[in-house]
Amino acid sequence: MLTVEKLTKVFPGGTAALKDVSFSIRQGEFMAVIGLSGSGKSTLLRCINRLINPTSGRILWDNTDVTAAKGAELRRIRRHIGMIFQQFNLVKQSSVSTNVLSGRLGYVNPWLSLCGYFPAEDRARALRALEHVGIPEKIQERADMLSGGQQQRVAIARALMQEPQLILADEPVASLDPVLAHSIMQYLEELNRKDGITILCSLHFLDLVHRYATRVIGLKAGEVVFEGLPGELTRERFKEVYGEEAEMATLGKPLD
Amino acid sequence: MDHKKPHLLIGLLALVIPGAGHILQGRKQQGVAILAGVPALIGLGLWQQTPLVFVGAAAVWLWSVWDIYRSLNEKPSGTVLPFLAGMMAVYAAAVAATDFQPAKLISGFSSIKPVLSALAKPDILAYPTQDKIGAAPVMVPCIDPLPRPDVQGSRRTVILTDSACAAVGETIRIKGVGFIPNFEGELWWRNPISALQRLTKNGRPQSFKTDEKGEFTADIKIPLAVPLNAMPAPGRTQTHQIEARQHKPYGSLQPTETLRLVVAKMGETLALAFLATVLATIFAIPIGFLAARNLMGGNKITLAVYYLTRTVLNIIRSIETLIWAIIFGVWVGLGPFAGTLALLFHSIAALGKLYSEAVESVDPRPVEAVRATGANPFQVVIFGVIPQITATFLSFTLYRWDINVRMATVIGLVCDAGIGFLVIQWIRLGSYNAMATTIIAITLVIAVLDYGSAVVRKRIIEGIPVGRGKKFSRRAMRAAGAICFVVLFIASWRAADINLDAFVRDAGNGVRLARELLTPEILDRPTELRSTDAELWTPAKSCSSKNAATTGVGPRIRLSQSCADVGDALTITGEELPPQSRVYIRWLFPDGGELRVKENCCDTDADGRVRLSTRVHPLADSKNYNGRPVRVSIQWHEAVGGLKLSPAVIKTGELALITLLMALLATTLGSLIAIPVSFLAARNIVGAGPLGSALYYATRTVFNLWRSIEPMILALIFATWVGLGPFAGILALTLNNIPNLGKLFSEAIEEIDMGQVEALTATGANRLQVIRYAVVPQLIPKFTAFILYQWDINIRMSTVIGFVGGGGIGQQWRVWVQLNQYAAAAVATWAIVAMVWIMDYASSKMRVKLV
Repeated sequence: MLTVEKLTKVFPGGTAALKDVSFSIRQGEFMAVIGLSGSGKSTLLRCINRLINPTSGRILWDNTDVTAAKGAELRRIRRHIGMIFQQFNLVKQSSVSTNVLSGRLGYVNPWLSLCGYFPAEDRARALRALEHVGIPEKIQERADMLSGGQQQRVAIARALMQEPQLILADEPVASLDPVLAHSIMQYLEELNRKDGITILCSLHFLDLVHRYATRVIGLKAGEVVFEGLPGELTRERFKEVYGEEAEMATLGKPLD
Repeated sequence: MDHKKPHLLIGLLALVIPGAGHILQGRKQQGVAILAGVPALIGLGLWQQTPLVFVGAAAVWLWSVWDIYRSLNEKPSGTVLPFLAGMMAVYAAAVAATDFQPAKLISGFSSIKPVLSALAKPDILAYPTQDKIGAAPVMVPCIDPLPRPDVQGSRRTVILTDSACAAVGETIRIKGVGFIPNFEGELWWRNPISALQRLTKNGRPQSFKTDEKGEFTADIKIPLAVPLNAMPAPGRTQTHQIEARQHKPYGSLQPTETLRLVVAKMGETLALAFLATVLATIFAIPIGFLAARNLMGGNKITLAVYYLTRTVLNIIRSIETLIWAIIFGVWVGLGPFAGTLALLFHSIAALGKLYSEAVESVDPRPVEAVRATGANPFQVVIFGVIPQITATFLSFTLYRWDINVRMATVIGLVCDAGIGFLVIQWIRLGSYNAMATTIIAITLVIAVLDYGSAVVRKRIIEGIPVGRGKKFSRRAMRAAGAICFVVLFIASWRAADINLDAFVRDAGNGVRLARELLTPEILDRPTELRSTDAELWTPAKSCSSKNAATTGVGPRIRLSQSCADVGDALTITGEELPPQSRVYIRWLFPDGGELRVKENCCDTDADGRVRLSTRVHPLADSKNYNGRPVRVSIQWHEAVGGLKLSPAVIKTGELALITLLMALLATTLGSLIAIPVSFLAARNIVGAGPLGSALYYATRTVFNLWRSIEPMILALIFATWVGLGPFAGILALTLNNIPNLGKLFSEAIEEIDMGQVEALTATGANRLQVIRYAVVPQLIPKFTAFILYQWDINIRMSTVIGFVGGGGIGQQWRVWVQLNQYAAAAVATWAIVAMVWIMDYASSKMRVKLV
């Protein structure tokens, strides 16, 4: 479904964030990406929907070359790839409903959307998406009035509006406490199991990796140093990925 | 909400009383807005007679009925359209009320062109010149016999004319002798009151060039050099003068007289600002403690002191420094001292408030800790409070010094203090190059100072010491600093022309002024001027009766005699006049002339009687009037009808509204221009490439320089351009707002959360959609807050921009003060205070709600 071939990203300052990264994801997988801060996880995820342009290498999405796509074609690819962020990235001054509806921007008539108009079916879809994540009653509130966990649910609802085949989740629970973290991860798991949405998720906690992922890749300084099933990720292998601080990670604490 | 009330009734009510329908439906906020808004708009329309305003009002009204109809079908519509209609009506009224005519920018361009071109050629350096001036008298027009001219040319450099006299429009030939050989010169004409004008030939300034002997000849057409009403009577003539002038440069470039004056006056400006800031700090520190709630909240007496101090500070603060300058000008006389007092007064109030806020925000925990060590109250203040506030106080003081320099540069526009005086003098004299030099100097000094004080303030707040050397050198630097400070202080004291004597001696002026300003003329009984008079014949032997009087009852005048010689004693008596009121006693001459018998006279007693002893005026001689008698009259104002709002209140009300609308238009225009420009000054928009950086730095630099041009000076320039009035004021404020808002806007743009932009890009939205959904929502609240803040400032500025011809309430205020109509000026003063307070309060409320 998604194949990454020899992906390399060198930032203008000369920092090599990704070096020859290659892997592929099959339909319906829940793949976790682990690694230290600065190991290239975020860059990798952002290269896949081209929020960052890779320096070299290829990304194939259902046999379409994402790296070569431009303009309208790129936007068509993006609208099938949902993304959720560590800081939720909701438009804080807008209402929850506008935030959720904005997930539809790739589909609707662009001129009407500039006037703030969305078709009735999309409005209904937004309500359903909010029901799906359990907070339909918040639809009229301003996004910054919500708690962190609720904001992340709105962000998931926004991604759902895209009818995604793939969701990129960039440390979706790093800003949340452990209980909320599990509830958000469970939503992702449900989307993965029930709706068959493929998920590529960068994570910080080993226990979350073991509990939710079906496959894991480990990045270290921009290179893939581990690829396998969560069960194969032993303490020793984990230490290879993370270095000395690994002890902390196994206890379920953040690494950085 | 109950929408099931009788439809027809609600609909009818909405049609008859705008907004009533909404209130009945329970939508109170909207209802009250419509109920207040529609009549207000209709009022604006009636005031300005503008059809578009009525259209807007009608649109809002009809919409309200339509909305009721829709809501009965459970579909209330949006409020955007009626809001836009209302705003359109307000703007239409504003355009009409403020005489907003952009076409004037083009039609008036010819009068501003010399000013603009002078800005490119400031008068800084020039060569010294060797000057030769020759002159010759010309009598205009010719009469017979021709009297001797009463002026003579110099001896060695002379002009010979072929005729001693000529009429306007005739041509005479002149010959110059003894001038600098082979060099050009200018021809000038000096009229009898010594006003110079350049002679012209075929519409161009006339010049001459001498031959190798230093001689030249030229034909001169006699110009119309005096106004028609000052032309000599038939049979008389006036002496004019032709001047030929040569200025030959030699040697090296020298600073011009203009530059010397500018430097001297700039020194005075900085001295005024320095002195006012230092003194204000000394006064404001104790006041700052008195106005701090956390210190004064203890018991009722201190709380009363707190409220009193706060109120007085607020009143003083809301009256602009320039207004204080004029008030103190009345007190101690216009000049640097009045300027210093004005700066000082306003600074004490402003600093007092800032200091008190700093004291109020003191962290109580360290104070508690010091108290816990067993320290006494003094020690608590010294070790617990003072360390927390020193840096803030210092930073506020520096900030105030900044503002004071700005104010000191424009205070001269209203009194002879500081560099502003040069600007206004030179613009009146038409010396545009000199004026341009001054404006450029002001702008540069302010820009440098702005930058410097921003750097120093930042260091103070971050706690970086100024000197970083060893202990000895730091001590030496401190000593040097202290000596510099004392020297500067003494120099400034001298420059500011401090005259405490005048301050005390003329305290009567101040008290009277204060009393008048505290009793505004709100109600007024309309009056009519009435008079009674009696005839007086000269000489004394022309009649026999000794007494003359108007007879009967009612107000009347009686003279001690009806015939007298010039210089005889005369007693004028008035009877049954309004008791205890001012009457005017005048000579009325048969040729229509009038003259007060005595200045500052007279007041009637409790019985309505007045008595004045004088002598018969030399002009009262009947010989001058073919034997007709002069008359003596008593005039007084008599009240007719009941109490009414005084004309001052009505005028003030109208002007206050115009001032608000001026501020509204200026803020709107400034924002509309600043919004697109601000994107060029935002780092994250223009990018880090060479072109982006160039654009960024260029825009920022222009903003910073432009911000340093005082709005008062802009108003002066625009008053020359488009004429006096609100339009000039609006243009000045707009131009001043663009860089101020632009800077704030661009900083807001730089603070955009890029995560939100990223998230929407990831959904596959296109660029416009990303801007609409991720950028605009972030900017709207901040931009609105800045615009409201600017509106607030604009209202304050538009109260004084009228002093230099910018229209609005300030222009009328100054006229009233100049005419000594303090009771009327008092009305305007309180209106300014009220306006500033209300806007302050409203805009701070709205800002809190927005952000």
